[in-house]
Amino acid sequence: MSKAVDHTVPPAVAEEELLRAQVYGLLARLLSRAPDADFLAALAGMAGEGGEFGAALNQLAEAARGCDPAAVVEEFTTLFIGVGGSERTPYGSYYLTGFLNEKPLAELRVDMARLGIARADGVREPEDHIAALCEMMAGLIGGEFAPEDGGIVDLEAQRAFFDRHVGSWAGRFFADLETSPSARFYRAVGAVGRSFLAVEARAFDLAA
Amino acid sequence: MTRNAVKAKEEAAKQNTDKSLARRDLFRVAGLGVGALGAVAAGVTATGGTAEAAPAETVSTGYRETDHVRRVYELSRF
Repeated sequence: MSKAVDHTVPPAVAEEELLRAQVYGLLARLLSRAPDADFLAALAGMAGEGGEFGAALNQLAEAARGCDPAAVVEEFTTLFIGVGGSERTPYGSYYLTGFLNEKPLAELRVDMARLGIARADGVREPEDHIAALCEMMAGLIGGEFAPEDGGIVDLEAQRAFFDRHVGSWAGRFFADLETSPSARFYRAVGAVGRSFLAVEARAFDLAA
Repeated sequence: MTRNAVKAKEEAAKQNTDKSLARRDLFRVAGLGVGALGAVAAGVTATGGTAEAAPAETVSTGYRETDHVRRVYELSRF
Protein backbone atom coordinates (compact mmCIF):
# COMPACT_ATOMS: atom_id res chain seq x y z
CA MET A 1 0.00 0.00 0.00
CA SER A 2 2.59 2.54 1.09
CA LYS A 3 4.68 1.94 -2.00
CA ALA A 4 1.90 2.98 -4.30
CA VAL A 5 1.26 6.09 -2.28
CA ASP A 6 4.84 7.30 -2.03
CA HIS A 7 4.90 8.27 -5.67
CA THR A 8 2.21 10.85 -5.35
CA VAL A 9 2.65 12.44 -1.95
CA PRO A 10 5.88 14.01 -0.77
CA PRO A 11 7.50 12.00 2.03
CA ALA A 12 7.41 15.09 4.26
CA VAL A 13 3.69 14.55 4.77
CA ALA A 14 3.17 12.77 8.09
CA GLU A 15 1.37 9.47 8.17
CA GLU A 16 -1.88 10.72 9.68
CA GLU A 17 -1.97 13.57 7.19
CA LEU A 18 -1.55 11.05 4.39
CA LEU A 19 -4.51 9.13 5.78
CA ARG A 20 -6.63 12.25 5.69
CA ALA A 21 -5.71 12.73 2.06
CA GLN A 22 -6.64 9.12 1.38
CA VAL A 23 -10.06 9.46 2.98
CA TYR A 24 -10.73 12.63 1.00
CA GLY A 25 -9.59 10.76 -2.09
CA LEU A 26 -11.94 7.91 -1.29
CA LEU A 27 -14.89 10.25 -0.83
CA ALA A 28 -14.02 12.14 -4.03
CA ARG A 29 -13.95 8.94 -5.98
CA LEU A 30 -17.22 7.59 -4.59
CA LEU A 31 -19.01 10.89 -5.17
CA SER A 32 -17.73 11.54 -8.68
CA ARG A 33 -19.10 8.30 -10.08
CA ALA A 34 -20.43 4.92 -9.02
CA PRO A 35 -17.76 2.37 -8.06
CA ASP A 36 -17.18 -0.47 -10.51
CA ALA A 37 -16.95 -4.15 -9.53
CA ASP A 38 -13.17 -3.96 -8.92
CA PHE A 39 -13.46 -0.97 -6.67
CA LEU A 40 -16.37 -2.53 -4.79
CA ALA A 41 -14.22 -5.59 -4.18
CA ALA A 42 -11.45 -3.38 -2.77
CA LEU A 43 -13.97 -1.53 -0.58
CA ALA A 44 -15.25 -4.84 0.76
CA GLY A 45 -11.76 -5.52 2.12
CA MET A 46 -11.64 -2.45 4.36
CA ALA A 47 -11.56 -3.00 8.11
CA GLY A 48 -12.29 -0.07 10.39
CA GLU A 49 -10.01 0.55 13.34
CA GLY A 50 -12.45 1.69 15.98
CA GLY A 51 -14.37 4.86 16.67
CA GLU A 52 -17.41 6.16 14.87
CA PHE A 53 -15.39 6.54 11.70
CA GLY A 54 -14.14 2.95 11.94
CA ALA A 55 -17.70 1.72 12.40
CA ALA A 56 -18.76 3.71 9.34
CA LEU A 57 -15.95 2.17 7.30
CA ASN A 58 -17.08 -1.30 8.36
CA GLN A 59 -20.60 -0.39 7.33
CA LEU A 60 -19.32 0.73 3.93
CA ALA A 61 -17.31 -2.48 3.49
CA GLU A 62 -20.39 -4.48 4.39
CA ALA A 63 -22.51 -2.53 1.92
CA ALA A 64 -19.89 -3.09 -0.79
CA ARG A 65 -19.89 -6.83 -0.14
CA GLY A 66 -23.57 -7.28 -0.68
CA CYS A 67 -24.21 -5.12 -3.69
CA ASP A 68 -24.61 -5.50 -7.40
CA PRO A 69 -22.48 -3.02 -9.44
CA ALA A 70 -25.34 -2.29 -11.84
CA ALA A 71 -27.64 -1.44 -8.94
CA VAL A 72 -25.05 0.99 -7.53
CA VAL A 73 -24.81 2.74 -10.89
CA GLU A 74 -28.56 3.12 -10.91
CA GLU A 75 -28.56 4.35 -7.33
CA PHE A 76 -25.87 6.91 -8.15
CA THR A 77 -27.88 8.20 -11.09
CA THR A 78 -31.06 8.53 -9.06
CA LEU A 79 -29.28 10.26 -6.21
CA PHE A 80 -27.02 12.66 -8.05
CA ILE A 81 -27.98 12.85 -11.69
CA GLY A 82 -31.57 11.77 -12.08
CA VAL A 83 -34.02 12.71 -14.75
CA GLY A 84 -35.82 15.94 -13.96
CA GLY A 85 -33.90 16.65 -10.79
CA SER A 86 -31.80 14.39 -8.63
CA GLU A 87 -32.59 13.44 -5.08
CA ARG A 88 -29.54 15.26 -3.73
CA THR A 89 -27.75 18.33 -4.99
CA PRO A 90 -24.14 17.98 -3.89
CA TYR A 91 -23.00 21.57 -4.45
CA GLY A 92 -21.80 23.98 -1.80
CA SER A 93 -23.61 26.94 -3.29
CA TYR A 94 -26.90 25.06 -3.25
CA TYR A 95 -26.51 24.08 0.39
CA LEU A 96 -25.39 27.51 1.50
CA THR A 97 -27.81 29.68 -0.46
CA GLY A 98 -30.50 27.43 -1.91
CA PHE A 99 -29.29 28.12 -5.45
CA LEU A 100 -26.55 26.81 -7.72
CA ASN A 101 -23.67 29.00 -8.91
CA GLU A 102 -24.17 31.67 -6.26
CA LYS A 103 -21.68 33.73 -4.30
CA PRO A 104 -20.07 30.77 -2.47
CA LEU A 105 -18.93 29.43 -5.85
CA ALA A 106 -17.43 32.81 -6.76
CA GLU A 107 -15.60 32.87 -3.42
CA LEU A 108 -14.36 29.35 -3.99
CA ARG A 109 -12.95 30.35 -7.38
CA VAL A 110 -11.05 33.23 -5.80
CA ASP A 111 -9.53 30.88 -3.20
CA MET A 112 -8.73 28.28 -5.84
CA ALA A 113 -6.83 30.84 -7.90
CA ARG A 114 -4.93 31.98 -4.82
CA LEU A 115 -3.98 28.41 -3.90
CA GLY A 116 -2.98 27.50 -7.44
CA ILE A 117 -5.80 25.03 -8.04
CA ALA A 118 -6.96 24.77 -11.64
CA ARG A 119 -9.97 23.06 -13.04
CA ALA A 120 -9.32 19.97 -15.14
CA ASP A 121 -9.68 20.55 -18.87
CA GLY A 122 -13.04 19.77 -20.34
CA VAL A 123 -14.90 19.78 -17.04
CA ARG A 124 -17.99 21.95 -17.06
CA GLU A 125 -19.28 20.97 -13.66
CA PRO A 126 -19.18 23.84 -11.10
CA GLU A 127 -16.17 23.53 -8.83
CA ASP A 128 -18.19 23.45 -5.62
CA HIS A 129 -19.27 19.85 -6.22
CA ILE A 130 -18.55 17.76 -3.13
CA ALA A 131 -16.24 15.41 -5.06
CA ALA A 132 -14.22 18.33 -6.43
CA LEU A 133 -13.88 19.84 -2.96
CA CYS A 134 -12.75 16.52 -1.45
CA GLU A 135 -10.17 16.21 -4.20
CA MET A 136 -8.97 19.74 -3.49
CA MET A 137 -8.60 18.95 0.21
CA ALA A 138 -6.59 15.82 -0.66
CA GLY A 139 -4.37 17.91 -2.94
CA LEU A 140 -3.87 20.62 -0.33
CA ILE A 141 -2.86 18.04 2.28
CA GLY A 142 -0.52 16.31 -0.16
CA GLY A 143 1.10 19.59 -1.15
CA GLU A 144 0.18 19.15 -4.78
CA PHE A 145 -0.70 22.75 -5.50
CA ALA A 146 1.54 25.77 -5.85
CA PRO A 147 -0.03 28.80 -4.14
CA GLU A 148 0.22 32.14 -5.92
CA ASP A 149 2.31 33.69 -3.16
CA GLY A 150 4.89 30.92 -3.46
CA GLY A 151 4.24 29.73 0.08
CA ILE A 152 3.22 26.32 1.30
CA VAL A 153 -0.24 25.16 2.27
CA ASP A 154 0.06 24.62 6.00
CA LEU A 155 -2.56 23.33 8.40
CA GLU A 156 -3.82 26.86 8.97
CA ALA A 157 -4.45 27.35 5.24
CA GLN A 158 -6.14 23.95 5.04
CA ARG A 159 -8.33 24.92 7.93
CA ALA A 160 -9.37 28.20 6.33
CA PHE A 161 -10.29 26.41 3.12
CA PHE A 162 -12.09 23.65 4.98
CA ASP A 163 -14.14 26.00 7.19
CA ARG A 164 -15.21 28.16 4.31
CA HIS A 165 -15.90 25.66 1.57
CA VAL A 166 -16.36 22.21 3.13
CA GLY A 167 -17.17 22.30 6.83
CA SER A 168 -19.80 24.97 6.26
CA TRP A 169 -22.18 22.58 4.49
CA ALA A 170 -20.77 19.13 3.62
CA GLY A 171 -21.69 17.63 6.99
CA ARG A 172 -25.33 18.41 6.24
CA PHE A 173 -24.99 16.93 2.77
CA PHE A 174 -23.56 13.68 4.13
CA ALA A 175 -26.27 13.49 6.78
CA ASP A 176 -28.88 13.99 4.03
CA LEU A 177 -27.25 11.24 2.02
CA GLU A 178 -27.56 8.87 4.97
CA THR A 179 -31.31 9.36 5.00
CA SER A 180 -31.98 9.55 1.25
CA PRO A 181 -34.91 7.28 0.37
CA SER A 182 -33.16 5.87 -2.72
CA ALA A 183 -29.82 5.39 -1.03
CA ARG A 184 -28.62 1.92 -0.08
CA PHE A 185 -24.88 1.74 -0.71
CA TYR A 186 -24.61 5.54 -0.49
CA ARG A 187 -26.10 5.62 3.00
CA ALA A 188 -22.86 4.05 4.14
CA VAL A 189 -20.89 6.62 2.12
CA GLY A 190 -22.85 9.34 3.91
CA ALA A 191 -21.93 7.88 7.30
CA VAL A 192 -18.22 7.72 6.37
CA GLY A 193 -18.28 11.31 5.13
CA ARG A 194 -20.16 12.71 8.11
CA SER A 195 -18.04 10.97 10.73
CA PHE A 196 -14.82 11.88 8.92
CA LEU A 197 -15.70 15.57 8.68
CA ALA A 198 -16.49 15.58 12.40
CA VAL A 199 -12.99 14.24 13.12
CA GLU A 200 -11.48 16.79 10.75
CA ALA A 201 -13.23 19.68 12.47
CA ARG A 202 -12.06 18.50 15.89
CA ALA A 203 -8.50 17.98 14.65
CA PHE A 204 -8.37 21.48 13.20
CA ASP A 205 -9.48 22.82 16.57
CA LEU A 206 -6.64 20.96 18.25
CA ALA A 207 -4.07 22.40 15.91
CA ALA A 208 -5.29 25.98 16.38
CA MET B 1 20.55 34.54 19.63
CA THR B 2 20.12 35.24 23.32
CA ARG B 3 19.47 32.48 25.75
CA ASN B 4 15.89 33.65 26.20
CA ALA B 5 15.25 33.58 22.48
CA VAL B 6 16.57 30.05 22.27
CA LYS B 7 14.36 29.05 25.15
CA ALA B 8 11.30 30.64 23.55
CA LYS B 9 12.04 28.86 20.33
CA GLU B 10 12.34 25.55 22.14
CA GLU B 11 9.07 26.21 23.93
CA ALA B 12 7.32 26.94 20.65
CA ALA B 13 8.76 23.84 19.05
CA LYS B 14 7.64 21.76 22.02
CA GLN B 15 4.15 23.23 21.82
CA ASN B 16 3.97 22.39 18.14
CA THR B 17 5.09 18.86 18.84
CA ASP B 18 2.46 18.52 21.55
CA LYS B 19 -0.18 19.76 19.16
CA SER B 20 0.75 17.38 16.40
CA LEU B 21 0.90 14.52 18.91
CA ALA B 22 -2.57 15.42 20.13
CA ARG B 23 -3.75 15.52 16.53
CA ARG B 24 -2.20 12.16 15.82
CA ASP B 25 -3.85 10.67 18.89
CA LEU B 26 -7.21 12.07 17.86
CA PHE B 27 -6.98 10.50 14.43
CA ARG B 28 -5.90 7.19 15.90
CA VAL B 29 -8.67 7.09 18.46
CA ALA B 30 -11.17 8.13 15.81
CA GLY B 31 -10.32 5.03 13.80
CA LEU B 32 -8.14 6.64 11.17
CA GLY B 33 -5.54 3.93 11.45
CA VAL B 34 -2.81 3.19 8.96
CA GLY B 35 -4.38 0.06 7.57
CA ALA B 36 -8.02 1.10 7.69
CA LEU B 37 -8.46 1.67 3.99
CA GLY B 38 -6.40 -1.34 2.93
CA ALA B 39 -6.09 -1.79 -0.80
CA VAL B 40 -8.44 1.12 -1.37
CA ALA B 41 -5.79 3.60 -0.22
CA ALA B 42 -3.51 3.06 -3.20
CA GLY B 43 -6.38 3.55 -5.59
CA VAL B 44 -7.54 6.89 -4.31
CA THR B 45 -4.45 8.99 -3.77
CA ALA B 46 -2.88 8.64 -7.17
CA THR B 47 -5.68 10.61 -8.75
CA GLY B 48 -4.76 14.22 -8.02
CA GLY B 49 -1.59 15.88 -9.13
CA THR B 50 -2.38 17.29 -12.52
CA ALA B 51 -5.50 19.26 -11.81
CA GLU B 52 -8.39 19.30 -9.44
CA ALA B 53 -11.42 17.16 -9.39
CA ALA B 54 -13.53 16.32 -12.33
CA PRO B 55 -16.87 15.29 -10.89
CA ALA B 56 -18.56 14.59 -14.19
CA GLU B 57 -15.50 13.04 -15.71
CA THR B 58 -16.11 9.42 -16.55
CA VAL B 59 -13.24 8.85 -18.97
CA SER B 60 -9.98 9.70 -17.27
CA THR B 61 -6.67 8.11 -18.07
CA GLY B 62 -5.49 8.87 -14.56
CA TYR B 63 -8.27 6.94 -12.92
CA ARG B 64 -7.96 4.02 -15.26
CA GLU B 65 -4.27 3.71 -14.68
CA THR B 66 -4.88 3.95 -11.00
CA ASP B 67 -7.16 0.95 -11.08
CA HIS B 68 -4.53 -0.93 -12.98
CA VAL B 69 -1.79 0.09 -10.60
CA ARG B 70 -3.91 -0.88 -7.63
CA ARG B 71 -4.51 -4.29 -9.14
CA VAL B 72 -0.81 -4.78 -9.68
CA TYR B 73 -0.10 -3.99 -6.06
CA GLU B 74 -2.90 -6.25 -4.94
CA LEU B 75 -1.48 -9.13 -6.92
CA SER B 76 2.15 -8.50 -6.04
CA ARG B 77 1.34 -8.89 -2.38
CA PHE B 78 1.50 -12.67 -2.71
